[in-house]
Amino acid sequence: MSTVRPVRTGEQVAAPEPLVTIKSAAKVYGTNQGLAPLSLAIHAGERVALVGPSGSGKTTLLRLLAGALVPDQGTRSVIINGKSPAELKPGRELASLVGIVSQRFDLVPHLPVLHNVLAGRLGHWTLARSILSLVWPMERRAAQQALARVGIADKINERPGRLSGGEQQRVAIARMMMQSPLVILADEPVASLDPARAEEVMELLVGLVSWNENDGSSQRTLIASLHTASLIRRHFTRVIGLRESRVQFDLPAGELDDAVLDELYDLGDDTDDIEPLAGLAARDG
Amino acid sequence: MSLRRLQNWLTGPRLLTLGIVFALAWSLSRVDWQQPIGHTGGGGAALQVLLALFPPELSQEFLRICVVASWHTLAYAIAGMSIAVALGLPLGVLASGVLASSPDGSETRRRTLMASVRFLLAAMRSVHELVWVLLFVAAVGLSPMAAILAMAIPYAGILGRIYAEQLQDVPAEPVAALRTTGASSAHILLYGYIPMALPDLLSYTFYRLECGIRAAAIMSFVGIDGIGFQIELSLADLLFRQVWTLLIFLVALVVAVDWWSSRVRRSMAY
Repeated sequence: MSTVRPVRTGEQVAAPEPLVTIKSAAKVYGTNQGLAPLSLAIHAGERVALVGPSGSGKTTLLRLLAGALVPDQGTRSVIINGKSPAELKPGRELASLVGIVSQRFDLVPHLPVLHNVLAGRLGHWTLARSILSLVWPMERRAAQQALARVGIADKINERPGRLSGGEQQRVAIARMMMQSPLVILADEPVASLDPARAEEVMELLVGLVSWNENDGSSQRTLIASLHTASLIRRHFTRVIGLRESRVQFDLPAGELDDAVLDELYDLGDDTDDIEPLAGLAARDG
Repeated sequence: MSLRRLQNWLTGPRLLTLGIVFALAWSLSRVDWQQPIGHTGGGGAALQVLLALFPPELSQEFLRICVVASWHTLAYAIAGMSIAVALGLPLGVLASGVLASSPDGSETRRRTLMASVRFLLAAMRSVHELVWVLLFVAAVGLSPMAAILAMAIPYAGILGRIYAEQLQDVPAEPVAALRTTGASSAHILLYGYIPMALPDLLSYTFYRLECGIRAAAIMSFVGIDGIGFQIELSLADLLFRQVWTLLIFLVALVVAVDWWSSRVRRSMAY
């Protein structure tokens, strides 16, 4: 296959320690291969796009990173900032480490937008504080600021059910701002949006990488799955192509051309002869 | 092979259906169709009861008795339901297993807890409130407390079981999203499960309150003041006009609760 290229980092960052290290992590569901053994290193500040057809392992990879799944090789095969997300108990440490925005159906439709945004703080709050907040909202100003940043400050008392898809996605992003994790994961965040809305939501997500509620200095990392080449070239630094739960390519986002993407998504073709590149990414060794 | 096809077709549920059909047919064949269904003179008595509705007893003195009896019945129902909700909600949460569904192990412990709470709930509701009230009257005498506790126990069992199912039925995606914010299971219960299940929880609780009013009326047959007790007194004296008045009060109570519950549900719509 002509599109199989040597694996290399998208950005030649000189950082000594990668923020995210995946060491031959795999996940098998019953007889289904969710993800073949995969190794990756991702540095702080990178914006990584995951592409690939449905069932190629993008969601599995994101859920492993979020600690929602435990890799078959054990929790230590996914390390973020020296910690394994699957080993962490719910709470502040996990909340500050990694968070995820999904395609949709993400909000609690029965709670006003304000409480949905404040839910981003639950990992940081004690139970008593969370109960009190339902009656007397805590950190209301911060929630207002987050909603203002995503451009829907006026919707603070609405129910999410009354909002459009794009507005709901903004609420989810505002919640992510309140959570404020080092690594921001996004599972097809723009899949249900029209191109203009997708562009705006993507800008907001990318804005989170350099956003800091105190001084704007810290570097976050964004890892998102999506399908649109133009969005990837414009907003990301690195693109990883997955197919049949294996890495097919790992390129600087600027080098992604439509032909590469077309070939990745091509369904008719037999893929048995693809070299499993998964285990080769040994540059973190 | 037709025998092989028959064997494949005769699965468990189909066998059960066939068995029930045969049992029904057999029981019908054993009925003695020569005997009349009612006793002789039943028709005349039924007509007498029906005619007593025109008009029911409306004397001021009796209406005052009805209002007091209705008030007591409503009070028992609300007190019994309050205890039932206070017991049933925590038990339902435990039985639903939503508090312990974290991705780490301890699955056996979770299943054991769920099964034992479900067993407790089943035991509470398998004894009818009428049986409970007889037991409590024997224990604490003819006090309102007997009626209230007798209702609270089986109703907590019913509420707990339905609450558990309603909590398990909430959409999984928002719950998963909350989990990724680092929220603990208790946080997720408060910000995900309960808000999402609340319309269903409330709706079912109101429905059970209606049932509770009927149950409270019936339980007072044992001799605690209430609509049932008054019905029993009037029936003993064959005063069917009074019975009708009491039944109208009972219907009015249930309709009022239904109206209240639809008001509450409408205000919850999102």
